[in-house]
Amino acid sequence: MSLDMPTQAAQQPNEAPPPPSPRPLRSDSRVRSITATTAMLLFVLVYSIPVIGVLLTSLKTNAEIAERGIWSLTGNLTFDNYADVWQTANTLRYLINSFHVAIPAVAVSIAGGTMIGYALAKFRPRGSILIQLVIVSGLFVPPQVLLVPLFTIFSDYGLLNTLWPMILVHSAVGFSITTLVMRNFFDQLPDSLRYAALIDGATEGQVFLKVMLPLARPALAALATLQFTFIWNDFLYPLVFTSGKDDVATIMLGLLNVKGQFTVAYGNQAALAVIASIPTVLVFFVFQKHFVRGLLSGAIKE
Amino acid sequence: MRAPTRWTLLFLTPPMVLFVAIVVIPTAMALRLSLTDANLLSDTKDWVGLENFTEAFTDEHVRKSIRITLIWTVFGAFAPLALGLGMATLLQSNRRIATMMKSALFVPIAISLVVVGQVWVWIYQPGDGLLNRVLDIVGLDSLQDAWLANRRTALYAVFIAWAWQQTVLAMILYLAGLTSVPGELVEAAQVDGASRFQIFRRVIVPLLRPITTVVLSLIAINSLRNFDLVFAMTQGGPVRETETMPMLVYRILFRQQDQGMASAVSLILFVMTLVVIGGLTWWGRRRSHVA
Repeated sequence: MSLDMPTQAAQQPNEAPPPPSPRPLRSDSRVRSITATTAMLLFVLVYSIPVIGVLLTSLKTNAEIAERGIWSLTGNLTFDNYADVWQTANTLRYLINSFHVAIPAVAVSIAGGTMIGYALAKFRPRGSILIQLVIVSGLFVPPQVLLVPLFTIFSDYGLLNTLWPMILVHSAVGFSITTLVMRNFFDQLPDSLRYAALIDGATEGQVFLKVMLPLARPALAALATLQFTFIWNDFLYPLVFTSGKDDVATIMLGLLNVKGQFTVAYGNQAALAVIASIPTVLVFFVFQKHFVRGLLSGAIKE
Repeated sequence: MRAPTRWTLLFLTPPMVLFVAIVVIPTAMALRLSLTDANLLSDTKDWVGLENFTEAFTDEHVRKSIRITLIWTVFGAFAPLALGLGMATLLQSNRRIATMMKSALFVPIAISLVVVGQVWVWIYQPGDGLLNRVLDIVGLDSLQDAWLANRRTALYAVFIAWAWQQTVLAMILYLAGLTSVPGELVEAAQVDGASRFQIFRRVIVPLLRPITTVVLSLIAINSLRNFDLVFAMTQGGPVRETETMPMLVYRILFRQQDQGMASAVSLILFVMTLVVIGGLTWWGRRRSHVA
């Protein structure tokens, strides 16, 4: 099954006129197309208004919002809120912290899952079913189960209010999905690839790094998109492990901290929300195809 | 050709050590904690057997939270599923709008639930929130409400914000699935005189079944983990009306410092997850054999 996003027009059931009795169908199809257009328009409104609302709010002065409300359409637009949250809140620090968590955690979770997935698919060690079962069942463990003991463990090691808990937890928890996807991926690659390279004198390490990894690039890109979005947007772990110290807050926790700092300054909150969303929205515009494939390839074998 | 053991160990050991340390051992510790009266504030803990569980199942807040989470997961999933499939079908038949809209439509799942929650708080604001303004414009101002503060409406209000985002997830996956529906099958059905609805119902929906299973599983897991959105919108209030189980665990752990009880409730959530996912997988398999 091809899981690429639609690129060329596939067969469209709605446009080909069905052959029998065209006349009653024609007026019928006009009604239908009006209904469809209305539904689509409604849909577009429901999805664009909240987004446009935040963008507009971030560009309005707080005095203006106080006077006319968040959803008013008029007003002078200004970038003051952005300058304001940049200077008075820890915005840059939050962003750096988020990248500091996301980059290593994305890298480690994918590297580890690739190693496990490859070993399970190609080395087929004894007990591989058990290993896969343990790793994949991690998908179903609610974060709250881990949270209670991990809070004590991280506290014992003095890691609360540092970035370590998030890096460690996201790396390890990520293995579940990355292993699943990579195992499925390597299962499809013929074993002969590995044998041929081994016969030519390559070591297992070289086969993995020089032959297999380059082939796996699309799967790796899919996982990177998935994991980055997930880790960047996470709020629970930072809240639990670092809520004591604003300097180690990630941007999502920063949103909450700033909300307390400027209680009714909606303009500032909106500006920070926009800043916080830019990285993942950008990643999506560039890699949306990979995101869909990543979600589907974990569950459906092609 | 089996790999030498040292290569297998080299590939498996480092990630497995991390996984065992962060996921497996803490899960086992949670099991043990759930059988004790451990508390964040005291160093001693005593074995209490299944007391936490019996207490959990008789506590009205825990029962209510289980009910909210179950209903949300089991019935709530159908709203984003149906809306997502409907929109995907519409977009599929209108390529021009689809290409124009697609990037913009990704925004709701690219942004975090914290941001989604913040926007929806503004929509529901008492007084001049967007929803109240719209009601005012269409002349239904008598219906205006403080949506998130009202005990009767708060849960539905949070649910709608959640469905708003999950619909996009379903739509995107269905959109990918629809392109893989073979055109010949649809044409063959047309030639046989099938109506559009029949084609949709008898050809397209069955072919999309694997995608439906994925969408349902993802949405179910997301709703069983629903913490960020609730925290951002209501923190479980008003009067614990929107307290999903993840929110409840957080509250028990950090407001009551009760590790034993928090572990017990989190494990109940774990079992619920396994049952829901197990059921979905069974459903997916069974149906695909029939089809």
